Amino acid sequence: MATGPLRFRTPHIEELPITQSRQAPGFAWVAVAAPPEDPSKNWGTSNRKRARAAATGQTDSQKEALSARQQRETERKIRELNSDNSKDVQIPIPKKEAGGGGGARAGKTTNTKKILASGKTFAHYLDDEEAEIARTGRRDGEAEVVPAAVQQQRASKTPLARRRPREESSMSGSPAPFKPASSYAPPSDAMDIDPGEDDDVVASMPSQANIEALLNMPPLTYNQARSAPPPTNAPPPRKFCEVCGYFGRVKCMKCGAMTCSVMCKDTHDDQRCQKFYA
Amino acid sequence: MASKQSLTQPPASGNTLAPRTLIVDNGAHTIKAGFSSATTETNQEPNLDDCQIIANCLARSTRDKRTYVGPELLDECWDFGELAFRRPVERGFVVNWEGEKAIWERSFVDGRAKLKCDPHETNLVLTESPNAPAALQRNAGEMVFEEFEFASYYRTMAPAFNAYAPSPFPSTATSASGVPIECLLVVDVGHSHTTVTPLYQGRPFHSSCRRLEIGGKTLTNRLKEVLTRTVEVQKEDWIVQEIKEDVCFISQDFNSDIERVWKGGLKDPREIDTSIVVDYVLPDYEAVKRGFFREHDPKISRKARALGLDGPREHIVTIGNERFTVSELLFTPSDIGMQQEGLPATILQSIYSLPQGLWQPFLANILVVGGSSKFAGFMGRLESELRSRVSEDYIVRVAQAQDPVKNVWLGGARLAQNEDVLKERVVTRQEYLEHGDLWTRRRFAGKIAR
Repeated sequence: MATGPLRFRTPHIEELPITQSRQAPGFAWVAVAAPPEDPSKNWGTSNRKRARAAATGQTDSQKEALSARQQRETERKIRELNSDNSKDVQIPIPKKEAGGGGGARAGKTTNTKKILASGKTFAHYLDDEEAEIARTGRRDGEAEVVPAAVQQQRASKTPLARRRPREESSMSGSPAPFKPASSYAPPSDAMDIDPGEDDDVVASMPSQANIEALLNMPPLTYNQARSAPPPTNAPPPRKFCEVCGYFGRVKCMKCGAMTCSVMCKDTHDDQRCQKFYA
Repeated sequence: MASKQSLTQPPASGNTLAPRTLIVDNGAHTIKAGFSSATTETNQEPNLDDCQIIANCLARSTRDKRTYVGPELLDECWDFGELAFRRPVERGFVVNWEGEKAIWERSFVDGRAKLKCDPHETNLVLTESPNAPAALQRNAGEMVFEEFEFASYYRTMAPAFNAYAPSPFPSTATSASGVPIECLLVVDVGHSHTTVTPLYQGRPFHSSCRRLEIGGKTLTNRLKEVLTRTVEVQKEDWIVQEIKEDVCFISQDFNSDIERVWKGGLKDPREIDTSIVVDYVLPDYEAVKRGFFREHDPKISRKARALGLDGPREHIVTIGNERFTVSELLFTPSDIGMQQEGLPATILQSIYSLPQGLWQPFLANILVVGGSSKFAGFMGRLESELRSRVSEDYIVRVAQAQDPVKNVWLGGARLAQNEDVLKERVVTRQEYLEHGDLWTRRRFAGKIAR
């Protein structure tokens, strides 16, 4: 079977932690090449206060609250980076010159009047849609996907879970209800395609009916379409020096910001250290 | 599908197209708009010059106390200092129609508009971002028909039009107008976000559309944030955007590049590689109308130059690792703590969610469009990262559109040239008034054939 040319998988290289981090006055080195700590050699010279504040002294709930706070902080920052409009500025629409006819927000019909006067932001629309899906189980535009033929029947009292799958609605024109093909593979498996197992890795095109069914699937909602987070075995996120932008190697004990060197750490302490979280 | 059923159902009465078609690619940053230049008889290819770029914003300057609406910004404004923006398009969708209406009116209806038209005599082809909330699609339809009263209207997701543009791959022959490329994976690196859309015959695989929430504005805002370390640019959105466009690039080897521009620690100072570090001269809109960059000169003192001592008076920002750490976010969003995979992995997420038989056609037909893909080194990095993540059995082919910004418009214009195709897709105002908004939306979704 495996007579094809020799094939190599894409290697995945993962850096394994070699030692645990140690606390040092004022800052913490993130990776330190030192032998693991031996409790028998602990002669009681370490700072007890710090030891208490560090991992052991902190309860799980405290740690969780801390990381939740950091999480919120990051989310707020990302939201800020993705904001569209200039901050704290209201720009009204300039008044039209005479003869323009009607005010800027007039609107010709009740519908457009409503749209023009609405102060909703994108977040509102998103929440509205999510709420509607939670309430009705489908999106607004798909309201009449259930065709007229079905409405003639009496409403079934069988619980949804026990109902037999009905023929695909005629309106959509799709020849068959979509079934996930058996050739589906989650992304992580893609790297593990065994070259010996199936010689024909570049599989043939699925049938036209399958493609048609896929094409007729309803669009994902805004939130579903978001790119998935990296897999759990992905390398941890990189940290950068807050002052100069180089890799951050030292963590400020007071605020958690990263810096790369003593010089940057000094700048940080002098000018920017904010005590968000320890 | 539409053509199949057209035999059974006679075309609705009043199904005649208006003489002109306005194609509007309504981006968050700029509107790309223009008339489809020719009919099928003359068979003239649409020209990129027919496409106008209109700033999709209301901008207010604190200096001359004037509000620039839409096209006025690029045509009439010359002082971009401390310009504040209001953008009606949020996350790629028109949310604030009050502002959008002002911009559209100024661009398409107003007497001074370059693209002046009578909506009653015009077909409108409008784009939206993928995965739009239904309420926003409804709003768009209502505004187009009830407020602007366009004769007919076709709305689709912007990436879909790329299938109708000339093929970027040299080996693929350009299809006739109105005929889509068979398989195309569109990567649209836009202002608000980056979307990945697999298209089969111009139709999207909805379940495989993906979105990475990093776009041009994220990078601009991020650059603003990191530049604030050295200069006060908090209010200078426009200038920072220009800096980004001028100096930022995508690093091919991030670790070595960042190492080269590190100043080193206290005990081990390093030589900074000056081939990356640049001095950017900020515009003051008196002597310097447009910012520019030059090689970093360590002898120049920023403060002295700002006061006009020791050479011409100019405001300088020294930009080092910011040149590539900012644009790196497209490939490593975790650098700002975002829980999303980078662009190459997002593309693969989309492809791997399809049946395996479709992987190869899409991996070999990746088209990159969007203004933020113009960074130097973008294509090289994307291709090498994809190559290293995909099994050797697959061919990976990546190409950038000839004009990444106007490619969607070009595709739309080529589609509109083919009157038969356009006729099949548009909804006329009469039909809208007859069947209502839900019918219109379902028709655009391909659920109702003519």
